[in-house]
Amino acid sequence: MTLLEWRPEYSVGVEAVDHEHRQLIDLINRLHQELGADATRAGVVEFLAEIHARIAAHFALEERLMRAHRYDGYAEHKADHERLLDELRDIMDRYELAGEYSDAALAQALGTWFEVHFREQDARLHRRLSGAGR
Amino acid sequence: MLLTLLQRTGRGLFAAAERALDRCFGPRWNPLYHLGALGFFFFWVVTVSGLYLYAVFDTSIFGAYQSVEWLTHEQWYLGGVMRSLHRYGSDALVVTVITHLSREFFYDRHRGFRWFSWISGVPLLWLMFSSGINGYWLVWDRLAQYIAVDTAEWMDWLPIFGQSMAANFLNQAALSDRFFSLLVFLHIGIPLMLLLGMWIHIQRIGGARVNPPRGLMWGTAALLLGLSLAWPALSQGEANLDRLITDIGLDWFYLAIYPLMDRWSYGGVWWLLLGLTALLFVLPWLPRRRPVPAAVVHLDNCNGCARCHVDCPYNAIDMAPRSDGSPYAEEAVVDPALCAGCGICVGACPTATPFRRATALVAGVELPQLTTADLRARLGELARGLRGQARVLVFGCDHGPDLAAVAGDGVGGLRLPCIAMLPPSFIDYAISRGLADGVLLTGCRAGNCHFRLGIEWTEDRLAGRRDPHLRERVPRERLATLWVGAEGTAELERGLVSFRQRLAALPPYRPGSLPQTQEVLDDTA
Repeated sequence: MTLLEWRPEYSVGVEAVDHEHRQLIDLINRLHQELGADATRAGVVEFLAEIHARIAAHFALEERLMRAHRYDGYAEHKADHERLLDELRDIMDRYELAGEYSDAALAQALGTWFEVHFREQDARLHRRLSGAGR
Repeated sequence: MLLTLLQRTGRGLFAAAERALDRCFGPRWNPLYHLGALGFFFFWVVTVSGLYLYAVFDTSIFGAYQSVEWLTHEQWYLGGVMRSLHRYGSDALVVTVITHLSREFFYDRHRGFRWFSWISGVPLLWLMFSSGINGYWLVWDRLAQYIAVDTAEWMDWLPIFGQSMAANFLNQAALSDRFFSLLVFLHIGIPLMLLLGMWIHIQRIGGARVNPPRGLMWGTAALLLGLSLAWPALSQGEANLDRLITDIGLDWFYLAIYPLMDRWSYGGVWWLLLGLTALLFVLPWLPRRRPVPAAVVHLDNCNGCARCHVDCPYNAIDMAPRSDGSPYAEEAVVDPALCAGCGICVGACPTATPFRRATALVAGVELPQLTTADLRARLGELARGLRGQARVLVFGCDHGPDLAAVAGDGVGGLRLPCIAMLPPSFIDYAISRGLADGVLLTGCRAGNCHFRLGIEWTEDRLAGRRDPHLRERVPRERLATLWVGAEGTAELERGLVSFRQRLAALPPYRPGSLPQTQEVLDDTA
């Protein structure tokens, strides 16, 4: 079972960004499967940290594009990025140190966030970037 | 070696002067930290005042003196002030430039990858002094006559001019308007070349500051204006080539070589200046600095986000079209010839996070001599050795206080080439994983970062003004910074004592408690 699925309407029309979105979805799905198959705690922590690093890098690139295009929704979009990174860090800490963790919580946090972010922020960015001739 | 001794002495003097000025102005407005920008500022003061003078100036040799006199006395409130600003701005430029180059030399910031900035500065000295000397002729007073005659004879010593230059100044009748027009033309041409040279001079400085901070700029402008009103620049009587100059007041900043010509010989002064110039040219290789390995890009971990490119203080990283067939548009490319090996790029890379475990910790850009994986390993090792309460990890730099001197049971020190090489996620990692109870960052003296922007970028990243920033969740009461420089070891020791006292008084840290706070808020609402 996959948690997230790539959909064509997620595309922002920039190859690099779409590529990373797909990679991230893959990574999250792999984590999800691993959890289902009785993953070790260390394995999950590794995955979470990897996802965090990849997402951070992805956001850095997306933010660069937004600044280059003087995207007017930049502040809002970036705040959304930061919110997700913070949430992810909290999940990492809780899992690693408090042992408090549930598959459902992670699935919910990531799934919801991506759905909403793709639908609202990235779609808006797509319209703007394609409008700018990209 | 003699040069090393000279540098050590000079560095001590500068450090003392800088600390004294820090106390008066604070590091932000300390003029010694903004000498390059002040140089540009004085250049513009001289340019603007010069444009006004040019508009009023009579460029004929028989009208020049009178037009300057009118400007100075009849129009003292504007023309006179402009003339004085032109004079004092030029003098300040010389003082600034000489201080600037001495300072870079004493702090050993002229060798290695910095050679270009040093070498490109040497011709600027010739351009600056010749502009200034050239300018003194245009007033055509007795001082102008003195330097005109001496310069002409000095030039004639060189076997390159077909016609004697001094023949122009034999007596009043020999003077020609054409020669004078040439001088005026030179006084525009040489400063233009100087400006071009200044532009070349800063090409390898990323985001070079060509304007001083506003407070310093207005303060300096006020000082120049005050000086101009209190002691206006004056001419010293009209030139008359039929009379010999005996006593004259000199502008020692520009004209110091003239008394030397009289006392010595024209040839001697030539050899002195050419020798000094040659010495300046070879100084970056006396001795040659051992090359530092340049930063290396790892494309598997680089998506072309350009943060390293933006943060590099020496323009050593460019963004180039992707070369590995991946769908990204660009990749970072390091020019090893420009790279200082400071590692500030590593601190900017979003994949340089120590939490990563699933794949080997390799950042998008790495220093071969100290990789992020090394850094994490050393951090772990250091943390395991810490004992007792209020354990502190100190991150420092090669140019800051002595970390070995402050290390002990509860304090571990980790040295980086530059403090801004530390990705902020390492601080988050150290505190949230309980590797230490607190983290202290130290390095160069504030305003005097060896790699220009290390302290500034670090402060910006900690405060969330610059990406990658230290996440808000990291408890700030467990973080301290102390910018005290190499001579600040004792200060660091004192800072550590009070920081550890502060830490000991804190309740035990529980990471990941952010959502709990939110729940509490929701409950009370």
